[in-house]
Amino acid sequence: MEILSVQNLNKHYPKLDLKNVSFNLEQGYIMGFIGRNGAGKTTTIKSIMRLVHPDSGMVTVLGKDFAAEEFSCKQQIGLVLGQVSYYPTKKISVIADVTRRFYPEWDTNAFVSYLKRFDLDPDKTVKELSDGMRVKFALALALSHNARLLILDEPTSGLDPVSRDDLLELFQELIENSERSILFSTQITSDLEKCADFITYIKKGEIIASTSKDDLVNSYKIVKGTRVQLTETLLPRLIGCKKNDFGFTALMRTDDLPTVDGLEVAPADLESIMIHIEKE
Amino acid sequence: MKALLFKEIKLAMHPTTYLFMVIGAMLMIPSYPYYVAFVYTCLGIFFIFLSARENKDIFFTASLPVRKSDVVKSRIITVAIVELLQLAIGIPFAIIGIRINPNAAGNMVGIEANMAFFGLVLIMYALFNAIFLPLFYKTAVNVGIPLVFAGIAVTMYVVAVELAVQMIPFFKTHLDTTAPAMAKYQFPILIAGMLIFALALWLTFRKSAANFEKVDL
Repeated sequence: MEILSVQNLNKHYPKLDLKNVSFNLEQGYIMGFIGRNGAGKTTTIKSIMRLVHPDSGMVTVLGKDFAAEEFSCKQQIGLVLGQVSYYPTKKISVIADVTRRFYPEWDTNAFVSYLKRFDLDPDKTVKELSDGMRVKFALALALSHNARLLILDEPTSGLDPVSRDDLLELFQELIENSERSILFSTQITSDLEKCADFITYIKKGEIIASTSKDDLVNSYKIVKGTRVQLTETLLPRLIGCKKNDFGFTALMRTDDLPTVDGLEVAPADLESIMIHIEKE
Repeated sequence: MKALLFKEIKLAMHPTTYLFMVIGAMLMIPSYPYYVAFVYTCLGIFFIFLSARENKDIFFTASLPVRKSDVVKSRIITVAIVELLQLAIGIPFAIIGIRINPNAAGNMVGIEANMAFFGLVLIMYALFNAIFLPLFYKTAVNVGIPLVFAGIAVTMYVVAVELAVQMIPFFKTHLDTTAPAMAKYQFPILIAGMLIFALALWLTFRKSAANFEKVDL
């Protein structure tokens, strides 16, 4: 079942235009949302949540029109914008006591057990938590009101590799029973290699790919060749061509491969795909 | 709405706001421009907005399942509660102040703390709210500019009514006194103050909510 569907979101800003942003997320999967800084990731997430007003477009959550049924849609969503930095001097227990009153489905037992699991002390204040712990606290809040869709804006940025890995494992565990889905934005491609099922890639406000991770990775190859091989006919098929003294390295669509001969071909990973595409 | 009000009190309320609420005790000072005591509350309200902004209250609230207009409504109700509570707390101090004032002529530097005065303070709050809140909700970020404009308006209002009471003979004899015989002239001003406060609050909410709706967070 489709848990989130975004259709043709448009939003005009002086420095950025979201153009026909569309993608779908099925229940039980993790979708990574990648793009450079300023590509429109946060704006897209805020438009989905109606924190900014899209000029046009439609968002549905579990089949419900978000604009028409904002309240019930928001009950299903756990939103974490960046690291939790609100009310840094308040205790976890106080923030939870405030939050629970907004959700009829709040489960206090679940919250207590998540705190225990994540090693969170309810008497600590937000500022006493490390960045990784803050994300976990936000997740504990979201999971305790039984959110089906977790939307996380750069939850792993600023975390050390161990905490990041820990968090990514947790993401996978959370979707195990196929009830929840996670949409998380990041610029760290290795996060996605580890845990994303689907990838939506945004560049300058436009979605240039929204597909399974394997399909995305398989649809490109890294090619290397000498200066002599870099002909006028080859050049238009290369993506983000980098030249050096010995030759060139570029990305190429797998479909275009049969048309060329004699190049060194290697599988592409997300990072190289992103670097070459952004170079265009 | 109950949950939002709970959030306001538990998280957004600034400690000094509570302190300013009991500053109505200044009504016991024998001779004093009593409006000053209530101007402090305007500052207390400013602190709520300032500390909420610094604590990223908007982003906390935005992640909750609430309508934007309810976010504004809960804050405005909080503001009104603070203002009305401060006035209510001021009443016993005003009564004590009149009893213990050593000057036979009463307050030497301004209007007496009587019913008319409380009505005029309510109008002062109405003015502050009507300027500060809609201006703030135009950006939901800037608190300084709204305070400057609201502060200027409140100052001009206080100077104008204080001058009117002191200079116009009828007002001086009928409003600047605690004589029980004059209460019947002062009571209508209190009622007018209440009505203006309530009406202005409703209009302030409408305008603020409309402004906030347009803001991209």
